[in-house]
This record gives sequence, C-alpha cells and structure tokens, in this order.
Amino acid sequence: MDYAVETFSLTKIFSDWWGRAKVYAVDDLNLQIRTNEVFGLLGPNGSGKTTTIKMLLGLLHPTKGKCLMLGGDGSDPKINARIGFLPEESYLYRYLNARETLDFYGRLFKLPAKVRKMRIEALLDMVGLKAVANRSVGTYSKGMARRIGLAQALINDPELLILDEPTTGLDPIGTRQIKDLIIKLAQRGKTILLCSHLLADVEDVCDRIAILYGGKIQTQGQVRDLLQQTNKRQITTDVISDATVEKIKKLIHAENAEFEITSPMDRLESFFIRTVETAQRQAQSTSGAVSTTKISDFLEKDAKVESILDKLVSSPVVEESPEKVITTEKVEAGKSDIPEPNKQLLSELTGSKATSRIDKTPKEELTEKVEAGEANQEEKINRDILNRLVSSPESQEKKERQAGGDGDE
Amino acid sequence: MNSIWAVAKNTIKQALRMKIAVVFIILLLALLPVLGVSTTGDETIKGRLQTFISYGLSLTSFLLCLLTIAISIYTVTNDIKEKQIFTIITKPIRRFEFLTGKLLGVILLDMLLLVIFSIIIYSIAVYMPKFYQVNSVELAQAKTEFFTARAALVIPQQDFTEQARERFNKLKAEDALPENMSPAEVIREINNQMQVLSRAADIGDGIEWEFENVKPLADSIFIRFKYEVLQETPDSRIYSRWVVGDPHSVRTGEPGKTPVFVQDYRHTTETFHEIEIPSEVIPESGKLAVVFYNYPSNDTVVMFPKDGMEVLFKADNFTMNFIRSVILILSRLVFLTCLGILTSTFLSFPVAILLCLVLFVTASFSGFVLESFDFLSRNVGILYTYTLKWIVQILPEFDKYNPTKFLVPARLLSWSFVGQCILFMVCIKSFLLLVLAFLIFTYREIAKIVV
Ligand SMILES: Nc1ncnc2c1ncn2[C@@H]1O[C@H](COP(=O)(O)OP(=O)(O)OP(=O)(O)O)[C@@H](O)[C@H]1O
Ligand SMILES: [Mg+2]
Repeated sequence: MDYAVETFSLTKIFSDWWGRAKVYAVDDLNLQIRTNEVFGLLGPNGSGKTTTIKMLLGLLHPTKGKCLMLGGDGSDPKINARIGFLPEESYLYRYLNARETLDFYGRLFKLPAKVRKMRIEALLDMVGLKAVANRSVGTYSKGMARRIGLAQALINDPELLILDEPTTGLDPIGTRQIKDLIIKLAQRGKTILLCSHLLADVEDVCDRIAILYGGKIQTQGQVRDLLQQTNKRQITTDVISDATVEKIKKLIHAENAEFEITSPMDRLESFFIRTVETAQRQAQSTSGAVSTTKISDFLEKDAKVESILDKLVSSPVVEESPEKVITTEKVEAGKSDIPEPNKQLLSELTGSKATSRIDKTPKEELTEKVEAGEANQEEKINRDILNRLVSSPESQEKKERQAGGDGDE
Repeated sequence: MNSIWAVAKNTIKQALRMKIAVVFIILLLALLPVLGVSTTGDETIKGRLQTFISYGLSLTSFLLCLLTIAISIYTVTNDIKEKQIFTIITKPIRRFEFLTGKLLGVILLDMLLLVIFSIIIYSIAVYMPKFYQVNSVELAQAKTEFFTARAALVIPQQDFTEQARERFNKLKAEDALPENMSPAEVIREINNQMQVLSRAADIGDGIEWEFENVKPLADSIFIRFKYEVLQETPDSRIYSRWVVGDPHSVRTGEPGKTPVFVQDYRHTTETFHEIEIPSEVIPESGKLAVVFYNYPSNDTVVMFPKDGMEVLFKADNFTMNFIRSVILILSRLVFLTCLGILTSTFLSFPVAILLCLVLFVTASFSGFVLESFDFLSRNVGILYTYTLKWIVQILPEFDKYNPTKFLVPARLLSWSFVGQCILFMVCIKSFLLLVLAFLIFTYREIAKIVV
C-alpha cells in the first residue's frame, strides 16, 4: 500500500531547560494516510496535532520514531516541492501586500514567471482578495490573512496538502469554500491532511479520521463507520397533506417504531451565505474579502493531464479564464452592479437547488468513493446524522424531537 | 538561485522597514555635509580635507557596521520569532539557501548604502577646495599631499639582537644585570634601546638614511617625519638642516650628475611634517641619501619614532585609493554580516546583538587588545592563551585594515593589501563563520520554543 504520510511510533517529548522530560506532546504515534485520502486529525487543544505536523515537516525533530511524507523526508526540498502547508496561524511578512506575498512563495517554488503570475491572479481571485491585493498584509483582518495563507499553500498545486486548522477565523463562505476545495482536490487525486477540532469541517470532507488525546490515538477509522447509527432511518419529503402524514404514522406504528415529525430547519450556513449574497447583489462595498465559492482553475484541472504546468503556460492568461477577469474588474469597482458570472455562482450556491449542491454533492461523491453502489436512502440517513452532529447541543435536542430532521431539501 | 534571490529581495525590504535603518541613513545624510563645513583641522585646506575624510569615513563605516549587525541579526531572528520561517523552509529551499539569501540581501543593501555615502564623501572632498576658495599655494599642497596616493619607503628595521646579546654577556660578566628580569627580557630591552638610539640625533649631530629603489612618478618626492625630543625647546620647534641627494655627493660633498637638495627648516615637534623635494635630486641608480642635522641651538636630542620617517612618492591617484578604501570597509561589513547571521542561528535578538557588538569593538582594537593580553598573559598564563587569545586572533583586524590610515596621509593603499584583507577577512574568516552558521541552522529545531 502506498502511503502519502506514514509515521512509525513517532514520539515527541518536550523537556524543560534542565533537560527533564516535561510534556509528552506526541506519544508513540502510528499514522498511515493513504494517497488520495482526506484525513482528519482531530483532538482537543494541546493534544499534539500541530506538533505532529511540525515533525512531519522537519520543523521539530522527533524524540523517537520517524515519519515519511510522500515516501521521503519532510525536510527534503524535492518532497517540499510537492507539499502545501498552511500553518496554525498565518505567519506573513506584514509589509508585503497580498500579491507580493504570493509572488515570494511562488519564487521559493521556482515557478516560472508566467505560471507564477497566472496562479497568483487565479488564487487571489479564488480567496476573494483581488480587490485588496495591493494593501499590505499587516493590515488584514485575521480571516483575510488566513485566506492568503491558504493561497500560499496552494501555489505549487501540491500533491499533499497539510492544513492546520484551516478554517479558524474564516467566515462561513470561506469555510464552505475550503471544504469544497478539499473535496475538489481529493477528486483530482490529491491527499489532504486536515487538522482541526471543528467537527463540522471534518465530517463534511474527511474520508478517515483519527482522534488524538494526550498525544495518543484514541480512535481511528472511516468517518462513515464511526458515525453511522444503523438503528435509525430518516425520511425527508416535500410538503405533504396531513392525511398522508397520518397514513405514514399508521404504517410506522405497525412496525412498532418511535418517530417525530417537524418542518426541516435551514442550516445557519446556508442562511448566512444567502444573506451575504443578497448584500453582494445590492453591490454594497466592502474593504474585506470578497467571498465566492469559486475554486481556481488550475486546482480543478483533471489530475490525468500530464503536466498542468505546461497547459497553463501554453494558454494566455485572459483566454484561460475570461470569466474571472470580468469578475475581478467588477469587484474592484466595488459599487457597480454585480457581474453576471458571480451572480450565477452565488445563486447556485444559495438557491434551493444550490443548497442541495452544497450539502449533497460532496457527500455523495464522498460516499461513492468510500463505498460504491450505496443505496440512496441509506445515504440520506447518514447525512442526517452528520448534520445533527454538526449543530450545537441545544439545538440538537430540539431537532431530535422533530421528525423531519434538519435536511435542507 | 531564484529562491535565494527571493529571500534576498525580501530581506532588503524587511531591512528598509526597520526603523533604525532609516534613522541611520538620515543621520548620515545630515551629518556628512555638516562635517564637510564644520571640520577645520589646522586651518589649511589640506587639514580640513584630512579631518573631513577621517571623520566622514570613520563615521560612515562605524554606523554602517552597527546597522549591518542590527539588520543581519534582526532579519534572521525575527523570521524565527514571528514564525514566517515555518512557511519558508517547508518550501523547496534548503536552510543554507535561506541563510545565503539573507546574507546576499544584507550585503547588497550594504553595498548600495556604501556606494551612496562614498559618493557623497568623495564629492564633498573634491568640492571642498572650491567651496573655501583657497589660494593656489594651499591648493597645490592639497593636490600633492592629499589628492594623491603615495607609496612610502620606510627606514629598514635594523636588527640589533647580536649586539644586544654581546652587551648582555658583558653585563653578565660584570654582574650588572638588573634583577627581576629574565635574560630574554633583558636582551629585548637592550635591543629596544639600541633601536631608539639608531633613530636619534645627538645635539649638533646628524642621522643619515639611505633608500633604494626610489622611482618618482611625479615632479616631487616627499619626506614625511615626526620629531620627538628628550627636552622640550622653548618654542617647541626644532631647527634643522635636511640634505637629500646622491649618496656619494652627500657624503663627500663632491658634485655629482644630480643636484643635492639642502635646506634649513623650523618644524614643531610631535606632529607630522612633510618636505617636498624635486625629483631631479634622485640619481639614476635609484639610491637616495637623506640626512638630518640637529642644530646645536636646539639643545636637545632629536629622535624619530618607529614609523616617524619615510620617503613618499606618487604611485597612484586619489580616486583609485578612495575606491580601494571603500572595498576595505565593504569587507568589514561582509564579515559583520556573517557574524550576525551566525549568532542569530542560535541566539535571540538582544543576546546576539550584545555578543556581536563586543566582538566588533574587540576587532576594532584588536592590535591593542592583543598587546594588552600579551602583557596580561605573563600573569594569567595558559588559560588565557588557549581561550581569549584564540578568539581575538580569529577576529579580523579592523584596525589594521582601517582605510583612514591611508587616506589621511594620502598613502598608497595597494591592491595587494586590499587583496590580503579580502583573503583573510572575507574568504577565510567570514567563510568559516558562514559554514558554522549553515551547520547550526541545518540541525537546529526551528520550531523549538525556548522560554
Ligand atoms: N515548543 C514547545 N515546548 C514545550 N511544549 C510544547 C511545545 N510545543 C508544544 N508543546 C506542548 O505540546 C502539547 C501539544 O501541543 P500542540 O501544539 O501540538 O497541540 P494542538 O493539538 O495543535 O493544540 P491546538 O488545538 O490548541 O492547536 C501541548 O501540551 C503543548 O503545551
Ligand atoms: Mg494546533
């Protein structure tokens, strides 16, 4: 089996100034992350997630054990060239602006000037910072800095993407976008190591997870397997008459099963995205990030294409993404009416059809990948459980009383 | 290369963002012209020029040294402290390439600043005679004694060890040896005294020196000297006669093919003076005799200090000399950059700065420090010999390669001397520091937090 990341009883003990062992940050960790897998590393604060990543990347030396990334050492430039890394916080040069920042990182990857330029524009567009790209990064808000950090991690179109709490500080649209991005990248055959304690993020995108506590793995396995409640079923319908409901009730009583009926609640995420979309449609100006859920072309290219680089270089920038160019101009103008492509995208996102796209499409793809030929119904049930887990505890109780769950169709 | 260059470029930006860089630059830009106007020296234009060059260049060099130390340390330690380095060294760049980029950035910035300030100093110096509207005599003096580069022939060091040993044996036979002194010390002392004697002229007596290979490139050669006296004369001046010419003619008084230069002077003691002598007195053989006669009216013995008497002749022009001076300063900055980068691979900003400043000061007075250590070592012994002395010797000798020492007396700063400086200071010492820095940095745990 080919592993993208592999650790062998990896241990990190931090000792104090006198050399006495103080903290067992990572304790005998054996991780195997398969190629083309979205792997979630979960755990409470201080459980050793970041420390594990730092050891993978050679920023810390393991006290014991060893780790491999893409079959090599994490401090080998050849391996580094194929990795994208988003650290826990955005550590950026405050005096550079967004474009200069990305250019700097692009140069570190020795990207040819043309490719670099193209990708910078594409990434700026994707993370919604094109309009503020000439402001120095030091003046950015936390989430804006985070977005630049993400763009930086993607500039080399990495095979293995290591994200340490990528969604902290990001608005829901940004969060949604990262999740979509992760799914897209996974479709293209990339491997993603995602560290987080935001369960909502993880369950939406991860194939497998491991939960760390005190530097040790507590559980590990496929998200589906870990979360599925095999003793429950969920049915979601359009509005139906009370008479039909009664009929269904009878049917269920016949099977001696418990049930509840409610109208499904909208998820706050979809609601938020819709609100922002409305504001954007009204062309209110912002000096923050302009959120879209677009993903840069070069990251979406089919993995089978032999050399994406060649393709990118060979076609001129404008031809490559005419839609993008128009968008940018409009966005920069700020108060002009909303550009056509953007509107489409957003309404796609928030409209009734779109909502299903957001929540359903990824899940479906995921499920397909995990287990081909899964029955449709079962999948829906599974998703319901996931959704329940995402929502906060108070609302969860309420939801459990409601028969329809919180599906969004 | 692309990535090293990216780091270098970023380093320059970072440095310029650092407030103290801007403060230093403004300070220098303001001070240099002020220096140009306010320096007086001995009121002659040559004196003004000498003082200006001396202060201007020293100040520039000193401030740039401080700036270099600060920037090179800041740029590395800050990247570690603010953790930007996490996203840099996880990119396909080796750690030594990162440091090389930092080094390159600081050195490029240094070069840029050095060129700017050198041009300012040079322009002020060249413009100064016009500014003061000096008369032609002073102007000529400035031309021949400042705006030039002169090679020097110094008195060959005579070795009196043999005589000293003989004298020692004699003293020993007479049992007149001083107490508390080892034989070696006694011999050294006797040797020193004989050296001094050989450079001294008794009352009403003279000294004769003979120089070889005197090749004048210009119309004049110069004798540069300083008097020291045993007993101060009433007006602090020495009445003297200087005779310069073909050794044979000078000794015998017979006229030769070339004329003999004879002139009486009154010169103050304890300062350097120059006598201009027409080149026509030099015979074809290139041998030149110089005689100093101490008039009896002085009523004191006159001595010339160790480097207090030399024959100077033009060998190059001021501009080239100035350029070579700037190269000396640059080597110094390169060394300090490497030192700064080395210390910042394992120390935090304040500690690294402190260490570098101590080493910088030590290097600036390395001659003095070594001497005083030598003196101390009689008591301190091996401990010192194997620790401090070793460190001091590893440091470059900034005082030896101090350009003002050459520019003020308009002395030729030869390419071979500059080459020697580059070889020792840059190619060997800086390189060693850099290799050490690479090693430490490569094996260092970057993300380790030391509280
Ligand atoms: N450089 C260090 N020196 C000493 N202890 C450290 C160091 N870095 C981390 N630790 C300790 O190691 C443990 C694991 O830290 P780590 O940063 O890996 O946690 P984490 O899982 O990323 O937490 P979070 O969710 O808060 O980001 C913590 O107890 C922390 O205090
Ligand atoms: Mg962490």
